[in-house]
Amino acid sequence: MQVWKICLLIIVPFVVLLLSLGLGSTGFVSIPDLLYYIYAACASELGIEMVVADHNLETILWQVRLPRILLTFMVGAALAVAGGVLQAVFRNPIVDPFSLGISSGAAFGAALSMLISLIPLNLSAFVFGVIAVVITYLVSYTGAKGSLVTMVLAGMIISGVFTAFLTVLQYLSDPYKLQSIVQWTMGNLHTASWAKVRTAVIPVTIGIAIILALRWKLDLLALGEQEAIAVGVDPKIIKLVMIGAATMITASSVAAVGMISLFGLIVPHISRMLVGPSNASGVWANILIGGTFLLLIDDLSRTLLPFEIPVGVFTMMLGTPLFIYLMRKNAINWNA
Amino acid sequence: MELITIDKLSFGYGKQEVIRRLDASFIRGELSIILGRNGSGKSTLFQILSGVQTKYGGRVSINGVERRNIKRQRASEVRIGFMSQFHQTTFPFSVFDVVITGRASFTRFAPRAEDRQRVEDVLKQFNLWSYKDRPYTQLSGGERQLVLLCRVLVQDPDIILLDEPTNHLDLHYQVKVLENLKRLAADGITIVCIMHDPNLAFLYGERLFLMQHKQLRSLSGLSVGEIHHMLEEAYQVRLEAIQHGDKNLIVPYIAASP
Repeated sequence: MQVWKICLLIIVPFVVLLLSLGLGSTGFVSIPDLLYYIYAACASELGIEMVVADHNLETILWQVRLPRILLTFMVGAALAVAGGVLQAVFRNPIVDPFSLGISSGAAFGAALSMLISLIPLNLSAFVFGVIAVVITYLVSYTGAKGSLVTMVLAGMIISGVFTAFLTVLQYLSDPYKLQSIVQWTMGNLHTASWAKVRTAVIPVTIGIAIILALRWKLDLLALGEQEAIAVGVDPKIIKLVMIGAATMITASSVAAVGMISLFGLIVPHISRMLVGPSNASGVWANILIGGTFLLLIDDLSRTLLPFEIPVGVFTMMLGTPLFIYLMRKNAINWNA
Repeated sequence: MELITIDKLSFGYGKQEVIRRLDASFIRGELSIILGRNGSGKSTLFQILSGVQTKYGGRVSINGVERRNIKRQRASEVRIGFMSQFHQTTFPFSVFDVVITGRASFTRFAPRAEDRQRVEDVLKQFNLWSYKDRPYTQLSGGERQLVLLCRVLVQDPDIILLDEPTNHLDLHYQVKVLENLKRLAADGITIVCIMHDPNLAFLYGERLFLMQHKQLRSLSGLSVGEIHHMLEEAYQVRLEAIQHGDKNLIVPYIAASP
């Protein structure tokens, strides 16, 4: 990979982070001003008090925008990495956490925990995410080999089932809870808070760290189970670890911000266009591009119209043409 | 010395028996070729030897260890690499990336310098080094087959199992693959290879087998007439023998036109 691409992949996220910090409904904060605020904040951490012109803006920056930006980046990276991993493990360029039913399962789990509050939200989202992906796999597994089409169809059906369950929960819940559940299904980055960042950061970081550590094995898995045995590797355990990690980071993301559909499908394709099909560099690219891209989408959804467009709606609208393009281009090998 | 010994092997898919009390052995450092008709059970035998299919009856021992009990890791005493008949990949990985996955059992995480070196050596040996950045999916069938062979070779296997490696290849690549196999066998690697073309088998194989009636029968040590008769019976066609140097080849018998 060329050096300029690596530099671009590292520099662009920082620029976008700063830009996103500047953007918002209270007006654009210029980059020099922003840098001054960041400088002042760092200084006050060290015990040096600096003159800050606008305390309101300071609060907005640190209590509203920064947690939202961090959470957005984290969720974007998590969904993109999960999408890339699932595409490699299932040898299928059109799967993502959404199309395998993980997102719907996790959303149901999250909503269930909001209603009954017996188990923690994160855990409930994870458990139902796992249940969904396991059912999808079992349904599409036809003995010899599950094909691409059956897996996507199975995912759609399982996703539908959990969406139906979710609808039942919505029907049963009181208007107040109903509102937050509905927002869940559309992706609600605007409810970001430091508390949410803190809850999501641990599972997401652990999951991504596991995937990063084992990323060299993803290409092997993507060649197929037999091809792994052919060179003396038992693929089952790595496969399980990978699916588990992908499910964990997806579920934590869904628990934090709700369903952001098709995002995990789009980003791995962009990464492959930029850094090539190898998963060893692909995981890093997915982290950086996924985080940056979701930040940009969120910036657009915040500023494009007087009201906020739910981010899940936005990604769905972006993902559909890409999906059609991939289909027309025959990028999908339906026979594998 | 016998490296692979099969003793009273039986296998079936459901009620349909494919292999019945099969006995055979393969010698270390030899290129053994298995002939047989479509559906005679060759590929099933291949799957059992390669460890993909484990629900068989009887014994399959490799270097004295039962096949089922051989762990898949580099520390295992005998490393077995295989190349199955069909391989499709979805992602356009580069040739280098495909071949280096052959070293996956040597490292837990990232490949090391010696893994890359081994890949370079093997690719150069097959004159494929200039292909290293080409997408694997854009190669021709023959080139792909060679790349997969390289992938199996980088793990330094003691045994290589191949299911119709010359299938879909033009004459150039058929000869290229078989000559390489012969050289590898001379280097001490045990090769068991399923093939369709009896003449290529006669020309390159050191030991020939015929899969027939759910059994594997050795053709080595039999007279030309006996082999001829067995092949006629197996393939259900009349054959004519041709003397070619010290080898005997066969062609289908064509009745003279009146």
